[in-house]
Amino acid sequence: MTDDKERLDRAIIAMRVAKELPAGSCVNLGIGIPTLVSMFVDDESVVFYHSESGVLNCGPLADEGSEDIDLINAGGQFLQSVPGMAYFSSVEAFAMIRGGHVDVTVLGAHQVSATGDLANWMLPERGVGNIGGAMDLAAGADKVIVAMEHNDRSGNPKVVQECNFPLTGRGCVSLIVTDVAVLEPTPDGMVLRETAPGWTPEEVQEVTGARLIIPDNIAEYEV
Amino acid sequence: MTLERLDAQSVARRAAAEIAPGSVVAVSGAWAVAAADLVPEEKGVWFLRAGGTLSDLPINAADAGAALRGGHVDLSILTAAQVDSHGSFAGYHAADYPGPQGHAGLVDLASGARRVIAALPHIREDGTPNVVSALSFPQDGARCVDTIITDVAVFRVADDGLILTEVAPGWSAEEVRAITGAPVSVSPNLRDMDFDLPPGRPPSKVYADGPGAIADLPDGATVFIDGFGGPGGMAHYLLVSLRDRGSRNLTIVSNTAGIARVVSFGTPPGRTAIDHSVLVENGQVAKAIASFPVSPSVSRPSEFELAYRRGEVDLELVPQGTLAERLRAGGAGIEAFYTPTGAGTLIAEGKESRVIDGREYILEHGLRADFALIRAHQADTRGNLVYRGTSRNFNAVMAPAARVTVVEVDEIVQPGELDPEAVVTPGIFVQRIVRRPDGFTGYE
Repeated sequence: MTDDKERLDRAIIAMRVAKELPAGSCVNLGIGIPTLVSMFVDDESVVFYHSESGVLNCGPLADEGSEDIDLINAGGQFLQSVPGMAYFSSVEAFAMIRGGHVDVTVLGAHQVSATGDLANWMLPERGVGNIGGAMDLAAGADKVIVAMEHNDRSGNPKVVQECNFPLTGRGCVSLIVTDVAVLEPTPDGMVLRETAPGWTPEEVQEVTGARLIIPDNIAEYEV
Repeated sequence: MTLERLDAQSVARRAAAEIAPGSVVAVSGAWAVAAADLVPEEKGVWFLRAGGTLSDLPINAADAGAALRGGHVDLSILTAAQVDSHGSFAGYHAADYPGPQGHAGLVDLASGARRVIAALPHIREDGTPNVVSALSFPQDGARCVDTIITDVAVFRVADDGLILTEVAPGWSAEEVRAITGAPVSVSPNLRDMDFDLPPGRPPSKVYADGPGAIADLPDGATVFIDGFGGPGGMAHYLLVSLRDRGSRNLTIVSNTAGIARVVSFGTPPGRTAIDHSVLVENGQVAKAIASFPVSPSVSRPSEFELAYRRGEVDLELVPQGTLAERLRAGGAGIEAFYTPTGAGTLIAEGKESRVIDGREYILEHGLRADFALIRAHQADTRGNLVYRGTSRNFNAVMAPAARVTVVEVDEIVQPGELDPEAVVTPGIFVQRIVRRPDGFTGYE
């Protein structure tokens, strides 16, 4: 049984994702675990952070007491003003995304299918949801990485054979990093790439809704 | 023929007499540019010139094209080589024709403006007429010229041909007709050319208060409401003014439908921002078009979400980038465009789709509104706007796409006080300016 097996914490997921950001790339981080990723990118990588609120080269969050309502990220958090920032309108913010100028986006998800379909904007039981920039990022970013917990709070798998939640985009996810594994959706199905320390491929399959393709050489999750 | 024709400067003066104070005028070619130079600064006219200036603002080709195609130009004056009796024109003699690339700008000038004047010499050196029944030079615009000004006459282009309305001093209708290459009917009100500029100054764009600036916002209007979600970039004073005015059955177009009141999005600790909720709870909203319509927190639903659950409001959900592009298209005269965003999702349902180079795209339509209520940091009295930080986002996109754009600013300055290089929204996209009152915070 895998119920009581130890899973990695959110910071470790973020650290693993940070390894996927090439030096000099333009990166858009979603809300939640993705936001944590910037903490683990070393300064020498010179990653350019993009936010849909209309700013490039976002820096760290503002200190308490120095919040400026005219300087926020797409999650509504206050940013520090740092050298090298650029402001622009929503048209330019999304031309960057839709025109293929954003190299990598890291998003959260409700479900990802074996072939990389993404569902992350609406929980069916709520009946209404927020799309925000997610569909544009899914369609426009060169590489879409999903960072999420492997299972939801009730234990349901979030890596599934087919999504049954409303989709954000089809076949758009290129890598999934969870608290138990790293997986790669492909046209042929979901390939298991790495397992968290102490997890066997069979144990990962047990908590996964998609049929896993398990290569011979599974690496251990490395941060 | 011994009669004197007018010199170029006099033709320019006659063309300048067509330019109303405060209007937006595109000019092309020597005679048209000469007309622009005759209009004094205090007339407040915006001149869009080839080479990339909008009065004293630098402007790129895309913005210039958007200004023309989006219906923001009241009048184009172009210097033509030949015009026919249906209002089609040629910009160049056949021998000088620069090819389709060289004259591309003329096509926009001719098709985008509300009114087109062609200025040209009535005849060539050898006496051949330039006002003709059918063009012999390459055509730059079909049936687009409304008024023809030459060095001997002014014609109105009517459905059934040319009507002579004015003659140069000393000329008779018969003398004009004799050197015109198309049939001419003579207006019963035929008069001598009038060279005086229209009197008066442009009406002020600066309004004393918010209620005055939206006093004519009707029931059933479509209204753009700016802001990303937090209080930054949101026109709180205009929102409160609209609540107090009470216009009903509104369609609001905005990134959110009011979330700042129920979550801390972009809001300093301990504050509660005024947002779209003031309109929703007052029963004024019939529909929202938005990308992020409800609270990110299920347990703290917004006024809009509660009204949606009660079935009182409709919702059209739009991906954020598609919303921005639909607004841009609306302001730039683009009816619709294909985008891959949302293909294969609920968003695509009921929309036309097509596969281009192996990828699926859906057709999305431009958005226009009756009013835009936007927020900027500074405006000059001509409506040029400067924003602050991330509060530019949807403001700058909405301004060109509304019939009446009302801006709420911290400060109103005189023309010349804003650096033209720093202006983000040129004043032709702004109709009304209101200063946020002292002491008004935007918080409840």
